[in-house]
Amino acid sequence: MRMFATIAKLLVKRVLTAIPILLVVSALLFCILRILPVDPAAMSLPPNATVQEIEAMRSEMGLDRPLYEQYGIWLNQLLHGNIGRSIHFRQDVTALIGNTLPATIELAVIAMMVATVFGIAGGLFLFYVRGTRMEAVMDFFSILLLSLPEFLWSLFLLLVFGVFFEVLPFTGRLSPGFERPVVTGFLLLDSLITGNISSLINALQHMILPCLALGIALSPSLMRVLRSSLLDAYQDDYIHQARLRGLSEKRILVRHGLKNAILPTLSLMGVQFGFLFGGTLLVEIIYSYPGMGNLMVDAIRNADLPIIQGAGLTYCIAVLVISIVVDSLYLILNPKLRVR
Amino acid sequence: MRPLPLWLKSGRVQTGLVIIFILGICAIFAPYLAPNDPNEQNLLAILTPPAWADGGDLMFPLGTDSLGRCVLSRLIFGARVALTVAFTASVGAMIIGATLAHIAGYFGGWIDWLIGRVVEIWLSFPPVILSLILMVGLGTGLRNVVVAIILVDWTRFCRVLRSEVIVLRRRDYVSAAQLVGFSHWRTITREILPGTLPLLITLMSLEMGVAVIVEAILSFVGMSVGSETPAWGQMIADARQNIYEAPFNLIAPILAIFFAVFGFNILGDGLRRTLDTRLTQTERT
Repeated sequence: MRMFATIAKLLVKRVLTAIPILLVVSALLFCILRILPVDPAAMSLPPNATVQEIEAMRSEMGLDRPLYEQYGIWLNQLLHGNIGRSIHFRQDVTALIGNTLPATIELAVIAMMVATVFGIAGGLFLFYVRGTRMEAVMDFFSILLLSLPEFLWSLFLLLVFGVFFEVLPFTGRLSPGFERPVVTGFLLLDSLITGNISSLINALQHMILPCLALGIALSPSLMRVLRSSLLDAYQDDYIHQARLRGLSEKRILVRHGLKNAILPTLSLMGVQFGFLFGGTLLVEIIYSYPGMGNLMVDAIRNADLPIIQGAGLTYCIAVLVISIVVDSLYLILNPKLRVR
Repeated sequence: MRPLPLWLKSGRVQTGLVIIFILGICAIFAPYLAPNDPNEQNLLAILTPPAWADGGDLMFPLGTDSLGRCVLSRLIFGARVALTVAFTASVGAMIIGATLAHIAGYFGGWIDWLIGRVVEIWLSFPPVILSLILMVGLGTGLRNVVVAIILVDWTRFCRVLRSEVIVLRRRDYVSAAQLVGFSHWRTITREILPGTLPLLITLMSLEMGVAVIVEAILSFVGMSVGSETPAWGQMIADARQNIYEAPFNLIAPILAIFFAVFGFNILGDGLRRTLDTRLTQTERT
């Protein structure tokens, strides 16, 4: 019970600090994009519009008012769930983001799982070979891996498994001809709910390469942190104690070493997963995956300010949510922080 | 002859320096090394394979792209953008990040709180997204790429260095300097900076690798230098259109980026091991 209270307290505190952060971020976004030398009013009208029409549009959009007033109007609209209309797609930004966000979340969540599995397995392996000749080799190998960011992995995997061996699909979320069930917007979940197994399998096949690319790119830093946390944990007396008690090495590793070493790894994961969420942007473009990243880049190419603002803010919220979730997990796993 | 300093003896540092040296030569002497003009289009010879493959042309050792431009020449000229961005952006990010870190760590109090909050706000943006948004605001061009990377990545320096400064500030020799009546400026530059320097140099080397990646990402989405300047990310974007006809065009810039980033990373790792005594001590035990 006490744990729930502590976690609830943390959640309230974190959400309260997140509000000013979001306010500043939204103000920054608003200002950066207002320096742009494009006129949103002229852009949302047909090219043959007269100067008077553009002026009328400007005042209708509030562009003739001072900047802080414009920001106030925008913020007020934002709080009512209205981020504006896309200039290019002529649709509500909320709807556009609502259509693409689930795809990105699915991608990020599965990629995180891949990264966690690779990171923990790799970290344990790096720790296992400590002091042997393999260590130098593996260490070198992990720097090699660190030098390949997710977008190079995406291209590399696409080339090998998509183009040379042609074993996996690499564009979009579903092959043509597959039915796309819509319930929640999360494709994997929806095909599971509707029992559409062939769509589910096809969607999963489409996700293998992008998720592997993101997961593999993220795992080397996790491996290295886990390894050094394990090394630190093994300096402590309780490991020695456990050995004296005659516990098996495996039990010492899992019950004592890993249990303590997982905490620093977890707090790094919070930061890394935030980065991963941004990294989906490149991976989405490379695999023509219809998520927020593609929406964002389309918007940038068309100087579509409402979408850039809306999507930018959504990415920020996602990062904050991820970090709050990771912090709560940290609290659940770390008894030192609970008792106070 | 004086013996080599310890850090130069490290194999990792040497590997890194050799790689960066090779790239530096490519960048500086690009006009002499490149077999062709990187922007010259040969519409009669588009997408030719590398010279060793069937149908390859010795004129174009690594083949040509979709506009018949020489891949090798573009690769060599691309090193210019990559290295310029790597060096200038990392120096800029270091100056801003290190200055704020020293101020925050040394003085503490409200200024530390303020800088801490700014870093927190910055970290709530995924770096790729923030740099893209900045590029939208700033407009394309080499200078703006550098500015965008500096504005995104100074937090990397600030966060890590600040905690280092806090550790050093509590040392006796810093208190001694303050008692003797050193000004704050003198205490920071003479007493604290020498202590944070190894970490600072290591971070800079790693940041150069990050800058190469970010520039490649930005030019991949067409938000970096203009199309008249060859850049590795652009080459990837171009090659992706013809992935079946000319897969090698995609492999070449990928390898170039990897080579550069690996050089900076292995240099950084070597420096971390040899310069940062605190880390090596824990590793030795």
